[in-house]
Parts: sequence; structure tokens; C-alpha cells
Amino acid sequence: MGAELNSEWEPRLLGLLCKWCSYGGADLAGTSRKKYPPNIRIVKLPCSGRVDPLFILKALHLGFDGVLVSGCHPGECHYQTGNFRARRRVAITKKFLEYMGIEPERIQASWISASEAGKFVEVVTEVTEGLRTIGPNQLFDEQRR
Amino acid sequence: MNSDGRMQQRLRHEAGALLEQDKVDRIIGFEPGSLKFTTTPLITKIKDDLDRLVINPFIVNNLAVFLPGLKGRIAIVSKGCDSRSIVSLIQDNKVSRDDLVIIGIPCPGMIDLRKVEKLTGKDRDEMDDIIREGDKVVIREGIRDEGYGITPDPYPLTLEVSDVLFDNCLACEFPTPQDYDILLGEPVASRQSAAGESVESQESRVESRGEGDSRAKRLQSEASSERSVSGLQTINYRLLTRQQRWGFWRKEFRRCIRCYACRNICPSCFCKRCFVEESEPQWLMPVPRWQENLMFQVIRNIHLAGRCTDCGECERSCPMNIPLRSLTMEMYNLVGELFNFKAGMDKDAPPLMTHYEQEEAEDLIR
Amino acid sequence: MGIKKIAKKDIGNLLHQWGKDYTILVPSTEGDTALTVHGSRFTVHGLWDGSDVNLDWHRNTVKPPKSNFLPPMEEMFRFQKGKEGHSIELPQEERRQLIFGIRPCDARSLRLLDMIFTDVYQDPYYLPKRNSAVLVGLVCLRPYDSCFCTSLGISPGGSDDVDLLLTDIGDEFLIEEISDKGKRLMELTAGLEDATEDDITKASEAKEKAYGKVTRKIDTQHLKDKLLSSFEDETYWEKVAAKCIGCGICTFLCPTCYCFDITDEKVKKQGARFRCWDSCAFSLYTKMPMENPREEKWQRVRQKVCHKFEFYPMSFDVIACTGCGRCIRLCPVNWDICQTLEGIRDRGGDHQ
Repeated sequence: MGAELNSEWEPRLLGLLCKWCSYGGADLAGTSRKKYPPNIRIVKLPCSGRVDPLFILKALHLGFDGVLVSGCHPGECHYQTGNFRARRRVAITKKFLEYMGIEPERIQASWISASEAGKFVEVVTEVTEGLRTIGPNQLFDEQRR
Repeated sequence: MNSDGRMQQRLRHEAGALLEQDKVDRIIGFEPGSLKFTTTPLITKIKDDLDRLVINPFIVNNLAVFLPGLKGRIAIVSKGCDSRSIVSLIQDNKVSRDDLVIIGIPCPGMIDLRKVEKLTGKDRDEMDDIIREGDKVVIREGIRDEGYGITPDPYPLTLEVSDVLFDNCLACEFPTPQDYDILLGEPVASRQSAAGESVESQESRVESRGEGDSRAKRLQSEASSERSVSGLQTINYRLLTRQQRWGFWRKEFRRCIRCYACRNICPSCFCKRCFVEESEPQWLMPVPRWQENLMFQVIRNIHLAGRCTDCGECERSCPMNIPLRSLTMEMYNLVGELFNFKAGMDKDAPPLMTHYEQEEAEDLIR
Repeated sequence: MGIKKIAKKDIGNLLHQWGKDYTILVPSTEGDTALTVHGSRFTVHGLWDGSDVNLDWHRNTVKPPKSNFLPPMEEMFRFQKGKEGHSIELPQEERRQLIFGIRPCDARSLRLLDMIFTDVYQDPYYLPKRNSAVLVGLVCLRPYDSCFCTSLGISPGGSDDVDLLLTDIGDEFLIEEISDKGKRLMELTAGLEDATEDDITKASEAKEKAYGKVTRKIDTQHLKDKLLSSFEDETYWEKVAAKCIGCGICTFLCPTCYCFDITDEKVKKQGARFRCWDSCAFSLYTKMPMENPREEKWQRVRQKVCHKFEFYPMSFDVIACTGCGRCIRLCPVNWDICQTLEGIRDRGGDHQ
């Protein structure tokens, strides 16, 4: 795939993080001087329940190689139910796009609390490595065939 | 008189009574269309118009699409899938059940003219008659155009009804309306098993909770039989690789002209302003590029999760013949498998995306 | 005027010859593997791939030929912001197009579009394509039941608006030179036979027969005035519009509808300006510059009808409809413009 052809390519991952938990987790990872791949670009959301499948698809359209949605653990949502709703949305988005031919690895979700800096590092590292394996997102590139 | 004829007679009578007794302000039904083998929606307050109401194998439209735009008390003619769309609209608070009189038609399935054209080699306007007689469909005499292109075929031609019904009718789980005030005939059984899908996969679809084995089973059973996507392409979609699948849609959506017929004909697409037309922020360019066309359809399908009742109207309306039902059907199955949800079955149930269970779809979360 | 003929099997050779000077566009399926699209095998006049062209089954395309001159989407220019401000790159001039197998009604539609694109300004995108194009017409032997071209002064065998006209006479096509452009093209074409008297008779019989096959009629007499007087009749238009779902099929696929929208796309410091089809059937039409003056659906339906049968006649003294019937047969709810016009004629009240 393109990854081998272009050694300079680095996966770009969009993180859609809930400000009450995962964003704090990312913060803590930083202040604890834990190392995580710089491939993630983070958007702070008020809740994972704010995630619209359109954000995910648009990110892929703009050329992000993957999207990570992250919110509070089930039962810990600041607004009670936001993460449950996000779970339904992400689930259908991931499955539906898989049916259409998008690699499911590109759409990831995780529950990370504000204290789980370690988990944040772990997830971002894993997801980034996963994206490295499947290669760059060329889904929306114009191809002459 | 066949069963359509009897139902039609009763429909005119019932509709007339409803207007006369001032139980409703309006009737929504079907009247004969201006072209052969077509019908057209009839939306009227006038009693004399009701003599034009028809029931035949071509009453394809899902009339529920008109409900959100109309005020007052309405009597609506409704097939199985339409009734589920109505229920879904009630769930979304788009209409009130109290304002509706649902006139239910136990639906034996609608005839897909494209299939008839394909099988007979004649176009719609070159056929004289298409008559359903039980499990057979009889096509009468096409126009013979001597010396020009068409070889005279042995007409009348008798076809199996299962060869000419719409794919969604063949796969229909609930041909009899789920909710009705008046039912015009005897309830009919599901045609599903005639759709060429194994009974096992159907059961697993209905019974499955969450992901797990049943989905794998379904994929397997679908992969094992040659399967037509939407009656148009005989391709085995499930056997395609991921790249091939994406390539398939890339090619299909190149044709899209963004007329939005799929959206406007859909009862579940009731937004006053569609995301695709938002300009601040402009999520999608209005230009009909395949990228934007595809994204529009993906998001539309996600918005339809738990609302789509597989009425097949989007695909039928598409002037560019894009096999949209392949997508709607996948979403329909997905919400069944992931959340054990079926659209339009219970008017008191909350809409799919406003609801959740404590434990579900966790295997998709890392 | 020279009348030639060519065997159907030699059409490929003919197109190869013409392909040296022109981009050849033939009725094509645009990647659609389906047999029929609402009664048509072909969705559009698309790029000829060099294979055999079999028009035996040819009924009119789904997309009208306006899509070859006013494409659904067109890049007007690209722009780039550099140190010295913006720079603009215009699209490259395209090769001349040869539209093969265009129907007489569709050929007329281009003439109607010319009026608008040369009226208050000379459209720099439409006109070059249009002026350089050659239209090779094909007599329409199998009109649809939704066709009503004869009511609008067009004949399925009409040659008024094409450069060359082909008629199917069995195993061969009769080729008639119509315009000077067509004549020049023919002069450069080798391998044609002269048509015999017999061929010519066959062709004219076929045309006559085709004319008779268009059975749908509309009465255009005084239509403009009747529409004018019906303009405020909200009850009538609401009734007519009730079943319209407000999609863009009838306008996008109308050969004479020309509305377009212009949008810029900018990513970082560069981008492009596009124009793409727009439709008065959409509630968001003209929302960008101001408000849509036609807020209600019935007003938008009225606009579509009046534009073609009232406003166009006022401005250009011609009805902007060719009777191709696309809006009727492609409509998902079978909204029928002929019925609407009939209703206008029969509408009681303020006219004699």
C-alpha cells in the first residue's frame, strides 16, 4: 500500500474527546510526561454525545486516516446519557461504513476517564499503529479508472 | 372481482363515509396515473374525487410522506410498509395518531415495472395489460412495430409474481399494516421466504440481540447464494472485497445528480432543512461530485436508522438507478442486529437514537 | 443537398473518422449495468468508448443533452493566493463535441437554451461548447407515451435544429445534410454510399409514421394568457401541487431548464469556483443572495409551469418546452404537466 511507497507518510488521527473525561485524560498524560504519538489532533467536545456521524465522515473526507471518539465510561456521563447515545451512533456508523467498504479500523471509540492517562496513551498508540498498518486514507481521492 | 377490486370498492365506500360524517378533513389515497401502469397520489377534501380511488399492483408510493406537511384530520390509505412509516412518524412526534384514520391494505406486493421490462424485453408503454392473477402475472400483447427492432414475442406471457415484485416486497416482513383503523381485506402472510433468503437467516435477524454469531451466520448464508442487489445488478455484493465495495459505490454515486428525490420521497426524511443544504457550516458542497453524493447518502442513511421501513421508495424514485436499497436494507438489518430494533412497530416506543440500553454494542468500543 | 447512407455495422468507422476532430458523445449507460432506466437504456450522451454503437433499442436518454453544454457541475476557474495576491486559472478549452443520436426535441431544446445564454450576456462557458458542437440527429421512431413534441411544433423526424439527420431504414441509416456545418463534416467523411430513391422513400415513410405515434397532445392556444389569469389562483395551484414532493427531477432533467448555482470551494490558499444545476423546485433556491420569493410549494410548482409556458413566451415569443416527456415519466409521483395545463384551460372564471 501507499505506506511503503511513501516513507514520509504519518497517519493523521482525529480525536473527538469529551471535555469531562478523555480530554482530561489527555491532559493528564501530558502533565505526567507520558509519551503518546503526535499523530492525534484533538477536538474538545462538551460530551461524546455531541458526536455527529457527520463529523466522522467529514474527517475521513478531509483526509484524516482515522477518527477516535472518546467519552466517559458507561454510567459516568456528566449529562447522564450522552455516552450511551454516542455509542449507538458510533456503532451504526462504523458498521455501516464497513459495509460500504471503509476499514473499520478507521473509526474507533473508547471510554477513557480523566484519570486514565495510561489508557489514553495506550489507545492512541494502538490506534495509530493500526492506521499505520492499513495505510493512508485514499477513500475520497479521485482515481482515474 | 379480484381482491384488489373488492378492496377498492370498500375503500371508496369507507372514505366517502369518513368525509360525509366529518370524521376527517382529507383523504390521501391513490388514483390512476396518466401513464400506463402508474398510479398517482390523490390528496383531496372533495367527495366526488373519491370515485377515482384505486387499489391495484401499482400503488407504489409511500403516502406517509405527505403527512408531516398537512394539517387537520386525515384518512390515509396505507400498505404494510407505509403503516410502519406512519407509526415511525408518530414516534417522532411528526403526526398525532388521534388525527389519523389509517385505512389499511393487506399488501400482496407491488409490481416492479423495471423487472417486467427486463423480462419481456418491452417497455412499459408497449405493453397492453399487466394483470395479477394469484401467483401469476399475465402480460398482454405489446405493440408490434413491424420491421423495427422488436421481434414479436409469444404474448400473452405469464410470469411468476415472485419474478416481478419489487425486491423490498419480496423481502417484506409485515405486508399487513401494523396499525390501522379500517382493514380492507384479510391479513396476508409475510412473503419473506420467497425472497431467496434462507429462513434461518431471517430468524436469526429477528431474534438476534447485539452482534455475535447471528450476524456471521447471516453473512454466510447471504454469501452462499447469488444475490441481486436491488434487482438491478446481479452481483454478489457480500463476496466483494472491501476495496471492491468502495469502488462499487464510488462508481454508482458518480451518476447521482443530487435531485434529492430519494430524500423528498422518503417519509422518514422530514427535516425542514436538510444537513446537506446547510451553508454555515457548509458540510457538503452542492456540486454533484461522487464524494459529496456518497457522503450525502451515507449520512441520510444514518439519519434513517430506526426510521427506514424498507418501503423502497428511494430506489424506485432514483432517476439514475442507483441501488440505494442496498444501503437502506443494510441499515435496517444493522439496527435489528445491534439494538434489536425494528422501525415503526410500536408507536409508544422511543425513537431508536433517543434511547439506549445499559449494555449494548460494547464490543465495538475499545 | 446530398443524401447518403451507411450500414449500421459501419457506424463505428464513421465515429472513428469524426473522432479525429471531435469528442464523440453517444447514448451511453454511464456505468449503469441495468437494462432499463424507466424505459430507457441510456442515461446520457457520454464519451464513446470505441465499441459498437447499437441504437436499435434507443429511446431518449434520461439526462438531456443540456448536460453536455451546461454540465451538472462545471469548474469555472481555479484560484490561488500567492504573495502577489490572487491568481486565476481558467479551464482549458475543450475539444469540439459531436453529439451522436440526439433527438429532434432535444436538439430544439438547445436552441431554446441559446436564447437565454445570449440574452443579457454571452455565457462564456455554454456558448463556446455549443457553437463548436455538431449535432447528429436521429429520427425518433419510438416516442414514449409521455411524449407530446408535436404539440409544440416539433416532429420526431424534424431536422430544424440538427446538422445531420439519421433515419433508421432497417440495416442502414440514411444520412441527410441539414446545415452548412453538417455539409462540411460530410465532405470530410469517406465511405458513404449515395442513398437510392427507395431509401429516401423508406425514410420519409418512417418519419411520417413516427409523427403519428405521438398521441399525447396539449393545446397551447391562448395558454400564455390563461396562465397569466390563473397566477393568483391559489386554490388551483395548491391542488395541482399537493402531490409534488419538491424534488429536482423534473427541472434537472428538463432539457430547457437552465438554472444554476455558483459556489466557491477553498481549501487553504487555493480553490475553485463551480457552477452546478439548481432548481426552482427547491425551497432553498436563491436563499443565498436573499430569500426565496416562493416560500410555498404551490408557488414553486407554479413557477416551473409559468416559466416555460408564460414567461418564456413573453420574453422570447416561444414556449420553453419541447414535449420530451421526461418530467412526466421520471416523476416519482406521476405529476403530469399536461394535466396541469389542461386544468388551466378548463379553469372556470375570469377568462372567456
